[in-house]
Amino acid sequence: MKPSMGAASVSEAAGERGRDILAPDRRSGYAMMLPAVIVILGVTIFPILYSMWMSLNDVRITLNGFQLSFIGLANYSTLVHSGMFWHSVWFTTYYAVVTVVVELVLGMLIALAIHRVQRLKNLSLVVMLIPWSLITVVSAQMWAYIYNGTYGVLNGILQGLGIIQAPVTWLGSESGAIICTMVADIWKTTPFVVIILLGGLQMISQEYFEAAVMDGANRWQVFWKVTFPLMRSSIALAALFRILQAFGVFDLPFVLTGGGPGTATTSLAILGERSLFQNLHFGVGAAIAVSTVLVVLILSLIFLSAFRGMAEEGA
Amino acid sequence: MVESRWQKVLGYVVLVLFLVVILLPFYWMVITSFKPTAEVAAYPPTAWPQRFTWEHYVNAFTVHHFGIYIRNSIVVTCLTTVIVVILSSMAGFALARLPVRGKTPTLVFLLIISMFPAIAIVTPLYMFMRGLGWLNTYQALIIPYTAFNLPFAIWIMRNYFLQVPAALLEAAKMDGASIWQTFWRIYVPLTTPGLFTAAVFTFVASWTEFFMALVFNSSDTMRTIPVGIALFSSEFNVPYGDIFAGSIVSILPIVVLVILFRRWIVSGLTAGAVKG
Repeated sequence: MKPSMGAASVSEAAGERGRDILAPDRRSGYAMMLPAVIVILGVTIFPILYSMWMSLNDVRITLNGFQLSFIGLANYSTLVHSGMFWHSVWFTTYYAVVTVVVELVLGMLIALAIHRVQRLKNLSLVVMLIPWSLITVVSAQMWAYIYNGTYGVLNGILQGLGIIQAPVTWLGSESGAIICTMVADIWKTTPFVVIILLGGLQMISQEYFEAAVMDGANRWQVFWKVTFPLMRSSIALAALFRILQAFGVFDLPFVLTGGGPGTATTSLAILGERSLFQNLHFGVGAAIAVSTVLVVLILSLIFLSAFRGMAEEGA
Repeated sequence: MVESRWQKVLGYVVLVLFLVVILLPFYWMVITSFKPTAEVAAYPPTAWPQRFTWEHYVNAFTVHHFGIYIRNSIVVTCLTTVIVVILSSMAGFALARLPVRGKTPTLVFLLIISMFPAIAIVTPLYMFMRGLGWLNTYQALIIPYTAFNLPFAIWIMRNYFLQVPAALLEAAKMDGASIWQTFWRIYVPLTTPGLFTAAVFTFVASWTEFFMALVFNSSDTMRTIPVGIALFSSEFNVPYGDIFAGSIVSILPIVVLVILFRRWIVSGLTAGAVKG
């Protein structure tokens, strides 16, 4: 803190020269940003660059630590020829697309239905925020218990209603495990989407709706010509958050299904974690990490440009 | 008018249904944590415990080590939150009110950073930490959590500082106050809602983080709550009653935070949409 204590007087002196009157303030500014910048660079940028370098190396664990030897793209070639990798890419993409679309559509319908409701506001806000703030691992254990193939309450309810004859091992089949994981995600995240969309809805002036109705627009037209274009930044925000989060999905399948049965719910993050900490393939693990980042970046760019086009057409 | 009343009724019905769907799994978890062990695995399941018991809550802290997990989570989360609030308010102030160069690139860069999945950095961090002997220490989590929460916190703080008139800075300067004094005595007190918003988001993110906690701190004495709860599954007979008792105790602080700070959380969640 000391160097900048005399900032005001230095600033006057600099003012006489006229040219760089702002220099002292600027120096204080950099000093204030420095700690945050160091932490962010040290913990994110440097490791990402190092990941890229590692993915081009054969990484061996020796008694003295890690030993790297350059092997070019061999790790990537291992990945490209691995069925597991492509399966993870497929599952992660499928999972992200389905959950994000369902959460957005469901979230939009719920937000539209409830945004005029005046009572219960505090209560519903708290209830909707709780799944958002819930430890994912806790919700995964909760759903594992609900889905349990021997004594789960889902079986209890369905059998009580006569829909199934005997308890079903929901997490035992590939499609069952995938759907169950998606349902748990949708349950936890739809409230978050509703909150963001409600925020967007409440910012639209009531006059727009009234004007549209006066001009004889029906509900469908009001939604597509007024509500949707005015909400595009909220929708884009919710979607982008969710896509990025869904692509890093780890906690939920790790606890709920362990990535199984077989490899049915092995996401890219789970595959990466396995190759690092179970098989100790650090080079391949780094290649998976780098590929995941690339996929995420490409997808968010595609999404953002596609969404901009769609929103402009609607408007 | 008839249509608007119909809409109102529909709104209430949807809202109540939605809240019930959100709450039902919680009901199930809470009820299960009070059932005797035999009833936890009974089929068909009972909607209400035949006998209430605290045994799972006792087990969570005696048979299992929830006390240790909670202590670890509190240390990591509180220190991370304090550091993030201090660093992000300094950086946010500089980006909002001081003539630093490259503001826009810095802000965009921060946004991009905050989007990276943790898997991208976990391997090299693991190697560095192993080299430093930092695995299974508090700093192994506090430092990465700080880095991951800073970008969003800086954005929030910058937005709040922008709402405080720039004229205050000039006025303080006239009176001979340094930049640091102005920041600390004038701007920080005027942006306490921003500090709370940044703090709550950091707190929730650190309290719930699982991936890095699992990779860096998996020894039984250094586990945080999510790791402790997740690693129950590896046991053959999953003790759901004990898991849920521990879970409920460990989500209580967050529930209190959500009830107290709900408005600011919502303003934080929608901030991007409003400003963007």
